Amino acid sequence: MTISHHPPEELLAEFAAGNLEEAHQLVVGVHVAGCTRCARFVRALEQLAGAALEEVEPVPTAPDAFDRIMSRIDELPEDTKAPPPASVTDNDVPPALRNYRIGKRRRVAPGLSMRPIELSGSGKARAFLLRSAPGSRMLEHTHTGTELTLVLEGSFSHEGGRFGPGDFDYGDDEVEHRPIVGDEGPCVCLVAMTGDLRMNGLLGRLIGPFVRL
Amino acid sequence: MIAAIRALGVPIRAEAGLPRRLEARLSFGASRGPKAKVDWADLIGRVASRQDREAFKRLFEHFAPRIKGLMQKAGCSPDEAEEIAQNAMIAVWRKASLFDPATAGAAAWIFTIARNLRIDLFRRRARAGRLEDVSELPDAPDPTEPADAVISRAQDAARIESAIKQLSAEQIAVVRLSFIEEKAHPEIASQLGIPLGTVKSRIRLAMNRLRDILDEDA
Repeated sequence: MTISHHPPEELLAEFAAGNLEEAHQLVVGVHVAGCTRCARFVRALEQLAGAALEEVEPVPTAPDAFDRIMSRIDELPEDTKAPPPASVTDNDVPPALRNYRIGKRRRVAPGLSMRPIELSGSGKARAFLLRSAPGSRMLEHTHTGTELTLVLEGSFSHEGGRFGPGDFDYGDDEVEHRPIVGDEGPCVCLVAMTGDLRMNGLLGRLIGPFVRL
Repeated sequence: MIAAIRALGVPIRAEAGLPRRLEARLSFGASRGPKAKVDWADLIGRVASRQDREAFKRLFEHFAPRIKGLMQKAGCSPDEAEEIAQNAMIAVWRKASLFDPATAGAAAWIFTIARNLRIDLFRRRARAGRLEDVSELPDAPDPTEPADAVISRAQDAARIESAIKQLSAEQIAVVRLSFIEEKAHPEIASQLGIPLGTVKSRIRLAMNRLRDILDEDA
């Protein structure tokens, strides 16, 4: 897998610091898990954060904090190893998503379906898996907010280039997209989206009312 | 661009606290400051291999107040910071055998634990607010897990360490304030006494430089 489109460095830095909201954390995290280059960048930021931790002014913990911790440790079950990951039977779902509840597939437009990913509700952005039919021209759209897209399977192309598995696409309200899905198979993307999707063009206006992403 | 990206973090970013004096100390690494006598990685190893409570107590005394301090700097309330610090130390005990001193410094490893717990805290609260079953909360994704087992992580660690050394103290200061302490750009500008535009360009330069150095010989 050759990844040619990466998240902006500032986004990776916010990810490393733990500052992203859940949907964005999820999409960037799946990219980083499959991209050695970005994983290295994130680890560099974590080293910087470790240095910051060493040098920060300490704030005393509660007087009984250590005793409380030790009594909680004594209550830990014997086997404290993490449980093995649940078996994944769903081909659509990458391992990084296995802990999330993923809703049923819903058709949103001809050749276009989505599965919502259940988040905690702590953030504003939604996350979903988007599946587009091979060779289809995705609807031209603009965003009222930001959109982070990670290709899991297949490919699409737009003005910014070709996006295959592992590639990350960042869109904000200044970007107009006219993505075309590659012929090799359906394109499955993990998407985090804030705001609404606005369909452009006649077709978009006609089916717009039925699109509920 | 930077402004747009920074806006992404808004829902989770807490309000920054009162401006504090800038930490001028910018030395690196857990094992090289004046406190270098203590080998934190070795203490973690003793917790892992024989559940050494004395070693753990020293780790607690050093790191718990620092976790609390850093979390408060990043906008957590004292109660939240205390909870994160205590839970982080329990996680250090439980996960000590997973720590690999060849790939990460002890402080960086402990930071990632605290960071993930802070993420969990926000999500658990959001979920509890919706009266849902909190027991099914997914773990925060752990970016330190191997992306690709083929690469030598120890080699990678050496490259990361040398890359960080090539950043200037000024660049490290803005990165730390912006991302780790979550200060807004205007606040960083007034703390450092530099124009807002310089804050933005310095962050951008630091990001580019780090990426470029890390990409060399990739």
